[in-house]
Amino acid sequence: MSDAVVIGPIRAVRRLPGVAIVLVLLIGLFGTIAPGFLSAANLANVLVQSTILIMLALPMTLIIMTEGIDLSMGAVLTLTSLCVAIVSLATKSMLLGLGAAVLVGTLFGLANGWLVAIAKIPPFVATLATLGMAHGLSLIVSDGQSVVGIPHSVRDIYSAQLLGVPVPILMGVASYCIFHALLYHTRFGTYVFALGGNREALRYAGLSPNRLLIAVYAIGGMMAGVAGLLMTARMNSGHPTAGLGLEFDAIAAVAVGGTSFERGNGWLLGTVLGVLAVGVLRNGLNLVSLPSSVQVASVGLLVILAMFLDGLRSRA
Amino acid sequence: MSDSAEITAAPPAPLLELRGISKQFPGVKALDDVSFAVYPGEVHMLLGENGAGKSSLMKILCGAYSADAGEVYYKGEKVDVSSTAEARKLGIAVIFQEFSLVPFLDIAQNIFLGREPKGRWPGIIDRRRILRDAKRVLDSIGFEIDPSVVVDTLGVAQQQMVEIAKAISQDARILVMDEPTAALSDREADLLFALIGRLKADGVAIVYISHRMAEVFAIGDRITVLRDGRRIDQLRPADVTPDHLVRMMVGRNVDMSYPRHFAERPGEVVLQVKGLSAATGISDIDIEVRRGEIVGLCGLVGSGRTEVARAIFGADPVSEGEIIFDGKPIAGEPDVAARRGIALIPESRKSEGLALLRSVGDNLVVAALNKLFPRRLYDPSDAQRTADGLIRQLRIATPSARQAVGLLSGGNQQKVVIGKWLAAGAKLFIFDEPTRGIDVGAKSEIFALIDRLVAEGAAALMISSEQIEICHVCDRAYVMRDGRIAGHLTRSELTEENIVRLGMHDE
Amino acid sequence: MSELAKDTPRPHWSFLSQNAMQLFYRLLAAFLICAVLSILSDSFLNLGNILNVLRQASLTFFIASGLTLVVLTAGLDLSVGANVALSACLAGMVIHQTGSPTLGILTGLLAGGAVGLMNGVMVTAMRIPSFIATYGMLWVLNGVTYWYMAGETIHGFPAGFRLIGSGYFLGLPIPVYLLLVFLAIGSLFAHRTVWGQEIYAIGANPVAARLSGIPVSRRLLLVYTVSGTMAGLASIIFLSRLNSAEADIGESLTLPAIAAVLIGGTSLFGGVGTIFGTFVGSLILTLVLNGMNLLSINANWQPLVTGIIVIIAVWLDMKTRRPAS
Repeated sequence: MSDAVVIGPIRAVRRLPGVAIVLVLLIGLFGTIAPGFLSAANLANVLVQSTILIMLALPMTLIIMTEGIDLSMGAVLTLTSLCVAIVSLATKSMLLGLGAAVLVGTLFGLANGWLVAIAKIPPFVATLATLGMAHGLSLIVSDGQSVVGIPHSVRDIYSAQLLGVPVPILMGVASYCIFHALLYHTRFGTYVFALGGNREALRYAGLSPNRLLIAVYAIGGMMAGVAGLLMTARMNSGHPTAGLGLEFDAIAAVAVGGTSFERGNGWLLGTVLGVLAVGVLRNGLNLVSLPSSVQVASVGLLVILAMFLDGLRSRA
Repeated sequence: MSDSAEITAAPPAPLLELRGISKQFPGVKALDDVSFAVYPGEVHMLLGENGAGKSSLMKILCGAYSADAGEVYYKGEKVDVSSTAEARKLGIAVIFQEFSLVPFLDIAQNIFLGREPKGRWPGIIDRRRILRDAKRVLDSIGFEIDPSVVVDTLGVAQQQMVEIAKAISQDARILVMDEPTAALSDREADLLFALIGRLKADGVAIVYISHRMAEVFAIGDRITVLRDGRRIDQLRPADVTPDHLVRMMVGRNVDMSYPRHFAERPGEVVLQVKGLSAATGISDIDIEVRRGEIVGLCGLVGSGRTEVARAIFGADPVSEGEIIFDGKPIAGEPDVAARRGIALIPESRKSEGLALLRSVGDNLVVAALNKLFPRRLYDPSDAQRTADGLIRQLRIATPSARQAVGLLSGGNQQKVVIGKWLAAGAKLFIFDEPTRGIDVGAKSEIFALIDRLVAEGAAALMISSEQIEICHVCDRAYVMRDGRIAGHLTRSELTEENIVRLGMHDE
Repeated sequence: MSELAKDTPRPHWSFLSQNAMQLFYRLLAAFLICAVLSILSDSFLNLGNILNVLRQASLTFFIASGLTLVVLTAGLDLSVGANVALSACLAGMVIHQTGSPTLGILTGLLAGGAVGLMNGVMVTAMRIPSFIATYGMLWVLNGVTYWYMAGETIHGFPAGFRLIGSGYFLGLPIPVYLLLVFLAIGSLFAHRTVWGQEIYAIGANPVAARLSGIPVSRRLLLVYTVSGTMAGLASIIFLSRLNSAEADIGESLTLPAIAAVLIGGTSLFGGVGTIFGTFVGSLILTLVLNGMNLLSINANWQPLVTGIIVIIAVWLDMKTRRPAS
């Protein structure tokens, strides 16, 4: 095991500056100007609110490592959140709701993967189209209305605690551990690096890049399904526009976290720090009474800045 | 090897033998009845000029191309190497100049990509074992490095070692190396040679393509010289001198003659390059081109010829020095150079010279849009007339100006690239390998065209790897080596031997 | 002929005629949709409905025509919808404050153009891929617009200004005249100016275009600025037609605009496509959505159908057009 962790720290030290400095600066900034930012309750709040984003940003990291993108994630999350609401309302079963959400999410992920890998449609356009489809389906199944009255078993997930730790945080930590193991300790993870770094190498090794690519997108859809459960629990309802635009926060977190859009260079811990940076930014702006519109604009600037620096770094 | 003392006669059983291999590409006979054998524990040097057929032969060896004629024998048995997978099964591995490594995986993961040792659970990699196995492979080739180092942090030489380790771990018995020292320092090259020595001792056969004379004599056990797709000779380093080898590579091609009307006296200086350096790896370049001249720019592939052309044209930024064109300094992007009257006919016609999906007509007028339509209103019938005129003038074989240019033959495509600069009224033409991939008939047409251009008052700077063309066509030539001008040859000094000698390393 | 046959291994076909065929198929599709709709719905062939379709199509077309130029250079502008929203809100505010429609129109066009210029700078000088740059811009614009409007709605504009979007002249809606004008201007720009030719050349092979002396960066700046300005123009028509401005009016505009461009036969890989094709694409998309409306299909189905249409359009384009090269 001691061998296994060797790569992590080397990369961490090499890359720590960027995203960690951003995070520390943001915490320092809001610690001084935002009253109550550093309170334990608020920090716990930031963590809890970041869990949904973590669940999207982790698979988004893998997708971006393959030189792809998934713009549909927020819309798919909205749809799966509605699935949770509708199915659990009808069956009174949280697990059936989760199952339906994961199924729908995975189907969308498979569709994205198929469009990108087999139909060879550029990922930006393919997933923009499935964004429209998922958004449309959300409107259709909900008839544009909120789905309310969902069972306690769903709602309680967001507020429950296990050994004094909120369940959403545990879910976020578990997701990270699973993705860490998947990316750094399995064959599949090794091949994800190769999908972006050198697809030829995979072909030489007798592996099918297309199937791997579909799997990567399918995992993204599946995680959107799991996150859908949390979303419904958090809102205590299903809402047809609840998660729209969340994919942007996920992309921002990945970009800020130091994963490169070229050559298959991904860093999961950086993504987690990126998620926290986005969470702190939104929370802090909120505390100083700036509206969510300013939050959205600043995340947009953050992405443009991160992409610019990423480009400079890869040209250097 | 038991029979290592018995060098004079070849060891009895070749590991791999190619017999009578021929390979035809449209317009070019890449390989013509080539036979070639490698024996265990020897380094077989493959020599030849650019385009002599080395890379085609290599690709047939590793199953990337299939031969039109000829047979392959492995340990005396006839085999069919029609795919890279089959070549791998026979133990043939190629170390390409562009590596097949994944940059952000570590050395161990790269060596065993697709063959990872299984761990306790399905899909989980046994980390300890992959590191141990990798260490063993690395030790076996004497490469002292921690296998958990990420490949992206390695230098070129170390990446090459990893490639070799990857090949060895797949039980490769025949290693093909394509100019492996091209990007290495002397010290790194020595490490590679030491490794090659160890591999030889283990009975691995090595096919080694090189341009460096010193290596040929330092590590080669046998030399095969190719020229124009034919095997010229097979000999041992002890039986030959470097001069002799150069003459064999260059050869004599009597039936090649190009029309050229040399000017009595060259005109005024059109282009003057002073102390030009660029980040692309060229430094301190001084070049002068006069009206009515064709000036050659030769040297090996990778010596910086293309980079000089691109820097003059403004395609790459210049870090130092001055370019004076038509008496005035010039700097900036290619649009500046093009407006001033410089033309670049790039080496890779298809990716840099033409928009393949667009029509012949569109491609012919693209550089002349400003000149043809100074008021910036485009008139398709004017453009069509200009294109038709050029098609007639250059005798471009196309059913119409509306044909997609990608459907034309190589020679006709090249005429389109030259034609677009004729339409633009260029005064200095920079040709980068103008006859690459073009058949003999079209070649002499292209040269007749260049001759006519300079006779009418233009100037030309011509990059070519075909020394014979430079000798026949150019008034004089600069020879490059390692990003610098290694020498200048006047018309009377312009011989193939002189070009090769100046351009070779270690002379 | 035998001499030529050697050089042309594949059957002779010219690119112009291929383009003509592609356009013919699309017009055919438009007519088929019309035929089906006139059978299924009595109200389709009603004059009012047809004028309505044309007016709807013109709104999509204004955004899509600028976007066509961007896609012709193998780029994409995902910020057009958000750009329309911001420009409309700014223009609306100026009209309200100054009472001058002229100033408002200028503001809308300038704001749109400025956003486009910023996109262009990100793509050329900062070398960010156009997809990501304009995607980031989309959210910046959204944020700025929502912040600026703070949940307010501006409505009630001078009657003269409202004529632009909802007025009639000789029985035709004014946007339809604007559509014809900009269809002509756009087509002339693309096919009869040196800039247009250069844009096609850049899209077909940016490296070759640069090495042919085309100032690629400057042309890309122009293209993104034009795309932004067209979004600004669309914002004026919207503002005038809706008689109100809200922060969220751009949200459902980007995907239809991209759909119209792709249905119109402009290749995502650049260098192939026409402004007229985009007009036909806008028409087809509007007909489909209008038909769904007439057949009383819930408007909630529109994003789903638009998404499916985009995928089919790209897929058909790749199947029928791109020969191996």
